[in-house]
Formats: sequence, structure tokens, C-alpha cells
Amino acid sequence: MGDKRESSRVKEVNQQRVLDKAARKRRQRKALDALEQDNFHDDPHANLVMHKKAPKFEETLESKKRNRRLKSEPFKQRFRKNFTVLLEEEQLNSSDPPNYLSACVPPSKFPEHHFCSVCGFPSNYTCIPCGARYCCVKCLGTHRDTRCLKWTA
Amino acid sequence: MALDVKTFVLDNGAYTEKCGYSTQAEPRIIPNCITKAKSERRRPFIGDQIDDCKDISGLFYILPFQKGYLVNWEVEKQVWDYTFGQDVFNIDFGETCLIVTEPYFNFTSIQENMTEILFEEYQFHSLLRINAGTLSAHRYHKENPNELCCLVVESGYSFTHIVPYIKGKKLKNAIRRINVGGKALTNHLKDIISYRQLHVMDETYVMNQVKEDVCYVSTQFDHDMSVARKKGKDNTIIRDYVLPDYTVIKRGYVRPLEETTGKPKDNEQIIRMNNERFMVPELLFHPSDIGVQEMGIPEAIVHSIQATPEEVQPHLYKNILLTGGNACFPFFKTRVYSDVRAFAPELYDVSVTLPENPVTFAWHGGSLLSENEEAPKMIVSKKMYEENGMNLCLEKFDV
Ligand SMILES: Nc1ncnc2c1ncn2[C@@H]1O[C@H](COP(=O)(O)OP(=O)(O)O)[C@@H](O)[C@H]1O
Ligand SMILES: [Mg+2]
Ligand SMILES: [Zn+2]
Ligand SMILES: [Zn+2]
Repeated sequence: MGDKRESSRVKEVNQQRVLDKAARKRRQRKALDALEQDNFHDDPHANLVMHKKAPKFEETLESKKRNRRLKSEPFKQRFRKNFTVLLEEEQLNSSDPPNYLSACVPPSKFPEHHFCSVCGFPSNYTCIPCGARYCCVKCLGTHRDTRCLKWTA
Repeated sequence: MALDVKTFVLDNGAYTEKCGYSTQAEPRIIPNCITKAKSERRRPFIGDQIDDCKDISGLFYILPFQKGYLVNWEVEKQVWDYTFGQDVFNIDFGETCLIVTEPYFNFTSIQENMTEILFEEYQFHSLLRINAGTLSAHRYHKENPNELCCLVVESGYSFTHIVPYIKGKKLKNAIRRINVGGKALTNHLKDIISYRQLHVMDETYVMNQVKEDVCYVSTQFDHDMSVARKKGKDNTIIRDYVLPDYTVIKRGYVRPLEETTGKPKDNEQIIRMNNERFMVPELLFHPSDIGVQEMGIPEAIVHSIQATPEEVQPHLYKNILLTGGNACFPFFKTRVYSDVRAFAPELYDVSVTLPENPVTFAWHGGSLLSENEEAPKMIVSKKMYEENGMNLCLEKFDV
């Protein structure tokens, strides 16, 4: 009994909490990053050692190049930079538009549509603690029991 | 032939390579990635080797591209080794000219890496680096010799580009990019299905098939929404999608409308696709639905055309060309047309072309280009590269 009361009290406290702007932004950012993600689970071969002896790309290319002109940058770094690093470098070297950044379309001039985060149908309400959209009491209940404030870290 | 050696055309997409000799009737399509399966722990699969794998649940992807740009050369090199090597095309590099595509505004460092690897590692005879959209525009002009302009809409895996071309030359300042492509759509579908019905976050391969099999672009949004709300037989939108189990059911499929019960038979696992069918492709038209604060495709088309000289604008509205995998969604063309019609100035005619195969359209443009008399002037030979160095390639290939 005691436990139950305790948890419902915790729940109430949680529901009174309202996410601040920064936290909402972080959450939104996370959701957008997820759209870019390649995998949502671990490499199934992660703990296997594969073809240990097979030469790696860098090694073959590097040995071929040994006698040629030396590039200033170490090989590994050059061929393994992530998007953010490459974009930064690109902007430093040649920043005049038109370029990658300037080509991005601006925000739409039309009003946003709002859909229930639970069922996907048009929604007229916003969850006060977290800002998610919902369409009816039932969906609000589901939202509170599942995603609302659950992954706010 | 205009070039004195064989030409190999590689439309190097972030999702698939569309590739083959220019003389082939159709390109081969090879996934541009390495995959690992739970069921096959002895080796990873390169490109389409995955077709040999019987149980592809929980496939793990290793992609050479990030946000549409080639960043992981170690992975790309393995896919290219496979594609160029004896398992597939067995290319005689010293006797082959390569036409290869790159994204718009490709970063200088990526262009350098690409040039170096193709000339020094593979030792191709000669090279042409070009945007896939430019190849599409080339083909469009060949097929429509009376038109001087076209507006290429290229909606692939990573993003969507809108690019006006005048006499085959792109107008750089009017290029527009929307950061939504097929990858985001599939990931979004996985997310909402995982939340609403069944955990499918690890099932990219299958959920991508679900998307391609049952999603469509709505041409009457409010009406479709109201139908999707209906229960029973009145809901003509809802579908049951039977998931593969890789023993009895080798590939997922949609149940016919009459058999749409919402109930799994025997040991089946099903997903119900209702408003998801049109809400997912809708993101191409309203990126803000998922919080991407960008214009949708039709609005971006108008925005791009408005950045071009006024005298070419009517020609661009009349020659809108849809390419890339997302153009395969049913009613994509109808929707683009009706939205652009509604947003564009009334005095302009609007006309939209959807090729029979929007995915391979650019590849065919490359194969046509190799026969063009201009082609020899556009390429850089290995000899020229060795004599003049990297800068020649950077100047000549305006990507
Ligand atoms: N019939 C289809 N219906 C919907 N989407 C499709 C269809 N065919 C391919 N696609 C999607 O198009 C994208 C790949 O398009 P493509 O133009 O080949 O991309 P890229 O050139 O970036 O490799 C993928 O996300 C794929 O799911
Ligand atoms: Mg492409
Ligand atoms: Zn709802
Ligand atoms: Zn909430």
C-alpha cells in the first residue's frame, strides 16, 4: 500500500514538472538526429574478430604511396572525417555562397499542421509539461504513461 | 562513340549504386553499404551480396555516406572493390573512362579524395565527376530537344534537391536543398510503428519495404484523414501488412483489401498501416510535421524558380522533372503538380514529368552523355591528371 501511494505521489510531482525551453529543444534535436541514424541496435558481430590478417584499405593505399609525395595530413585522418568536421573545413576554405549552407531552403511560409503524437490524427491540444501534441483524453493518457517526460535526460 | 575507350557510368547514390557500362540497356543496382546479419556471423555482406542471406532480420548497416556526403572511404572502397572487381563488372581500369556522380556542393576535400582514389588506387583511364541531376537534365534535353530549360527535382535517400538548368547548365544560386529524403521517411515510420504497435526499430530493411509497398502521397489530405478515422469496411485506407518470418514468409506483403481484418492468422505477425500510409510521404511536402523547419517540395520549387531570371521562369515551370526514389510513391506527381499550380503565378503554365523509372533516369543520362561529342572535352585523363595535378580536376568538374 505504502509503495503505491509513494509512486502515485511521484507521478503527480512529475506531471507538475514543466520542461523548460532548453530541454524541449534538446528533445527535439534528439528526435531529429534519430531520423539520420543508421542503426538502433548494436553491431551483431561486434565481439567477433574478423579477418584479422586481411590488409586494411589504409594499409594498402599507404604502402603504395610511401614512395610518392607525402601528404601533410596523416592518412587515417584524411579518409575518416565525419560530416561535421568536413563541413567546418569546407566553410573555412571557401565560404562564399552559394554553398552547402546557403542552399538549404528556409522555413515554410505556411502554418504548421499538428498531429497527435500518439495516434497521428490531427490534434488540437498541447501537453503542458512537455509540449507534445495530443488529440483526446485517451491519447493524453497513453502519452503520459509512455513518452511524456520519460526520455528527458 | 565519342570517347575512344569504354565508359562505365556510376551514379553513386547514398542508398544504391546505379552502375554499368554505357552500352548496357539498364544499370545494375547495388546497395551502397556493408551489412551484417544476426543469422550469418561468419562474414559481412558487401552490396547486393546480402541477397544471398536468407534471414535478414535485425540487419546492421554500415554506410559510406553521412547526410548525403561520402565520408567513410574504407567502406566505400570495399563496395567499389566488389563492384569493379571480378565478382561483378571486372573492369579493365586502364581502358575505361568513369563517369561518376557526386552531390551538389560536394566538399573540396571529398572531391580530392575521390579523384585521388579513382586515379591512383584504381587507375582509371579517364574520369568525369558530375552531379546526377546534370545527367538527368542532359537526358531530358535529348528527349525534349525543343526545351531550353528544365527544373530537376531529385529526391533520394538523404535529401531532396531542386535545381534549375538552362541549356544543361545548373543555376547554382537557385539550387535548393530540403533535408528530408527516403532515409528520414523510413526512420520516421519505424519510430511511429514502434511506438504504436510493435518494436521494429532494428528492422530497417523490412520497414523500408513496408514504406515502398503501402505508402502513397495523399492528394486530398483532409478526405484521407476522415476515411482513416472510420471503422470497419468504411475505412478503405487501412491495410494489414504481413511481416516476413524468413521461414514460411520470405518477404512481407500487403493483404488484399477484402482480407483486411486486423487479425494475424496462425503464427503471422502483422502491422496495421492506416494514416501512416500517407502521413509518412507527407513529410516531403511538410517537413515541419516532424519538426524540420523547412519548406516542402512544391514550395521549394517555387522558391528556387523565383531566384532565376524572370525570362526563364515560365520555361522552368513548364519543365519540372521528377527523379530519385521518392518520386516512385503513388500520386507523387499529381501532388507536386497541384501544389505547384496552386502556389505559382497564374499566368505560367505548369507541367510535370515523371519518367518511367525515376531511380535510373540519371544513369541513362550518363550513358547518353558518353556518346555526346562534347564528352571528350569534359573528361580528365589520367595523363592530364598526372601532368597538371589535382587543381585541374577541381576546376574542370564543377559539382
Ligand atoms: N517504389 C518506391 N516507393 C517509395 N520509395 C522508394 C521507392 N523506390 C525507392 N524508394 C526510396 O528512394 C530512396 C532511394 O532513392 P535513390 O534516388 O536511389 O537514392 P540515392 O541516389 O540517394 O541512392 C530510398 O529511401 C528508397 O526507400
Ligand atoms: Mg541519387
Ligand atoms: Zn490521438
Ligand atoms: Zn507530455
